[in-house]
Amino acid sequence: MKDKVDMDEYLEALWYMKENNNMSKAKLVDAFGDDYKEEILQRLINEELITLLEDKKEVSFTEKGEALARRIVRAHRLAERLLFDAMGMSKDFEKGACEFEHTLTEELINSICTMLGHPKECPHGLPIPPGDCCLKAVKTVESSVMHLSDMRIGQSGRIAYINSGNDEEMHKLNGLQVRPGAIIKLHQTYPAYVVECEGANVAIDEDIAKNITVWRIQGSKSDAHKTEPSLTKQKKSLWCKIMGK
Amino acid sequence: MKQTDKTDKNVLILGLPNCGKSQIFSNLTGEYTLVANYPLSTINIKGAFCTVEGYCYNIIDTPGIYSLHIQSEEASMVREKILSGDVDIIVQCVDANHLKQSLSLTAELTQLSIPLVLVLNALDETARKGIWIDSKKLSYIVGVPVVESIAIKGVGTNRLKQAIETARLPKSPVIFGDVMESALSSIISFFPDSMRHRRANAIFTLLNDQYIEEHIEKIAGAKTLQDIKDTIADLKNRFQWNPAKLLSYTYSRWVDSVYDEIVKKQASAPQSFSENLAKYCRTPITGFPILIGIIIAVFFLVVEVADALTGFLEDLAWKPVEDYIKTVVIDRFWNDLLIGDYGVLSMGVAGAILTVLPILSVFYILYNILEDVGYIPNLTVLSKRIFSKIGLSGATILPMVLGFGCKTMATLTTKTLASKKERYIAIFLIAFAIPCAPQIGLSMSLLGKIGISAFFISFAILVLVEIITGLILNRIIKEDRTQVFIQMLPPIRMPNIKNIAKKTYYRLLEFLKEAFPVFILASLVLFTLDKTGILDALKVFLEPMVKGALGLPVDIVDALIVLLARREASVAIIAKMIEANMLDYVQSIVAVTLTTMFFPCVANVGSIIRMLGLRSAIVIVVVITISSVIVMTVANWCLRLVF
Repeated sequence: MKDKVDMDEYLEALWYMKENNNMSKAKLVDAFGDDYKEEILQRLINEELITLLEDKKEVSFTEKGEALARRIVRAHRLAERLLFDAMGMSKDFEKGACEFEHTLTEELINSICTMLGHPKECPHGLPIPPGDCCLKAVKTVESSVMHLSDMRIGQSGRIAYINSGNDEEMHKLNGLQVRPGAIIKLHQTYPAYVVECEGANVAIDEDIAKNITVWRIQGSKSDAHKTEPSLTKQKKSLWCKIMGK
Repeated sequence: MKQTDKTDKNVLILGLPNCGKSQIFSNLTGEYTLVANYPLSTINIKGAFCTVEGYCYNIIDTPGIYSLHIQSEEASMVREKILSGDVDIIVQCVDANHLKQSLSLTAELTQLSIPLVLVLNALDETARKGIWIDSKKLSYIVGVPVVESIAIKGVGTNRLKQAIETARLPKSPVIFGDVMESALSSIISFFPDSMRHRRANAIFTLLNDQYIEEHIEKIAGAKTLQDIKDTIADLKNRFQWNPAKLLSYTYSRWVDSVYDEIVKKQASAPQSFSENLAKYCRTPITGFPILIGIIIAVFFLVVEVADALTGFLEDLAWKPVEDYIKTVVIDRFWNDLLIGDYGVLSMGVAGAILTVLPILSVFYILYNILEDVGYIPNLTVLSKRIFSKIGLSGATILPMVLGFGCKTMATLTTKTLASKKERYIAIFLIAFAIPCAPQIGLSMSLLGKIGISAFFISFAILVLVEIITGLILNRIIKEDRTQVFIQMLPPIRMPNIKNIAKKTYYRLLEFLKEAFPVFILASLVLFTLDKTGILDALKVFLEPMVKGALGLPVDIVDALIVLLARREASVAIIAKMIEANMLDYVQSIVAVTLTTMFFPCVANVGSIIRMLGLRSAIVIVVVITISSVIVMTVANWCLRLVF
């Protein structure tokens, strides 16, 4: 088991390196410093998860290895999202997430992803690799968040997070206080979306509305009553599954 | 005002768009800036002096910004000013209606080392909403003077003057987490000693801000910049974080904690009528009827009231003068020069004052009311789909809508558009067939003489031209990223009579100051051309085009010539022609619509040169002028088929 965790760590590190377009072995050794163990790299090669290229200086994923790394990173970043947004942990979420990534099953990962409304970025702003559930855009009744574009007119919600890779857009929304934690109320959806946030009315594009994910607010009309109990139940059962590893 | 170099201090007024900066500027200095109840109404940095207890302050008004980090033109303009080191004191105008949004900017300002004063503005509106803000506590938390103010009524101006004298540095900058703070200090250690605002600059650097990178390269050299970049890359790698997100997260937390400390809300606030009204204005099903209703109401008011005014003035002031000159000045030449067809008095003075001024006065009053109540930004929502059809994303809408006010200003506001393609299309469309406020008023008045249907036909032609042009340009120009539409909508306010009167007065004054001499000059030029025979030669030359293609009488050339100098002057000529029954129904429509598009006004051309350069400006002007003739030729034929 210990070996598996170590191997996962290496795969994860390699994924980060891949995101930064630098998969040299030297970089990997550097990343782990004194903790670096050549034998783990060797095991990864033996299990056909990675190969070494160009005089054994460059590391490359095999198809199998890449899929596994992707799953680990996805689990890690989704777990961060879960702890950061849903549980409101702002400090130790990183540590918690590190433990999740080794234990979550594919099914569990997908249900967390669906519950969170298929987020695209972790709290640090790094991309979460999409899973099957994202591609199919699965929605379940238990989903406790929804996109702004799915809200009813007059409905309110607390912004969970905003899927945006565009810094300018983020700054602009942030300046208007349209940001995680803020309560927004949907006033209008056509010809443009108009939301009320912190006392100001703001008009936005549909594209942005799709990227804003909100928590349902309890008591905001009938369907909240329907979803709230099942939400807490699901959260709890998820939590039990996670903790009772 | 007396200014002594020793005590001059630069005071920068800063704040969100549409929060009352210009009003405060005006209260402090007595200088008037044309402002409106929508964002972007101040587009350039403007300064004036103000003395307090013998000290002289240079007060500087700025365009509204939400953040020092946005990489937009206004924000960079304002920030450059701040970082240049010329600013001694910052007065942040805090809109009490948008307290959190404003505090977010305050959080950024604490990172600078410039003494700060906060002005808590529009407190009357929050009081009405049942919101109470503890300004003393705010002052205590941030550590700078906070002035309560209702700028629009001039309340708080004296206290602000005193507060400027006691402006202080904020107690402490907003502090980030350990990782970020250590990153900042390592960046700062690279900065040369001459670098000002080290902390703020370090934050900008951390956010990959281009402007700052250029600045660092300039004063510290490429190598230092590279070192800094390497350090940041290394940090990002090691901690796998996104500084922009951490930053906004920290600021948000600070804003929330301050807000919770200082704000008390009544549990039940009165249901706001103005919000509902705003909602009706921007929902298509009610919004379009409201818009059409407004246009029709404005139409009849402009036509009826302005006509009555003109008739009244003509009888009262012009007829006696004309009669008197006829009897006194016998000599043909001098008679013509004064009151002939192209007389300085008849065409210049009377044209400006009798024909154009009444129309403009009535129209400006109505337009200023719409502007003052905050109707205009709601139009951006209403018209969004139309704009997206012609390839313009949301960000373009406000500049285009502003084009109905003043094309020059609207053209300048396109600098907020990041996409070059959209900027070009917007500038082109604004210059081409959008009638500006005076033009709308004048067209209404002219076509009002022959019926409201003529006005709507003319308007429909313009709309059609804009849509087709937009579609064509959208096809021709290839590029690039589309921009998002994020637009704050002000609530509909009750119109403030004093404000409207003041604004109308200044706009008319501007017209008289700028246009009056041009009117006289234009009449002199026409007079000379006429007397030397050039005008007749020109008319013979242009006859096939004017008479054949456009179906207009040759005398319309007069209008087209003066139009090059000043649009309103051509209106005076066309008005006379309509009155003299020289133009029939179709001809009137063709003439008015043609003059709306034909050759953009001088100020507009100037702004196009500023935005796109001389070459593009020439291309645009030539294309517009030629196409307007072609379009109206086609329109003429079509209209002839129907009428």
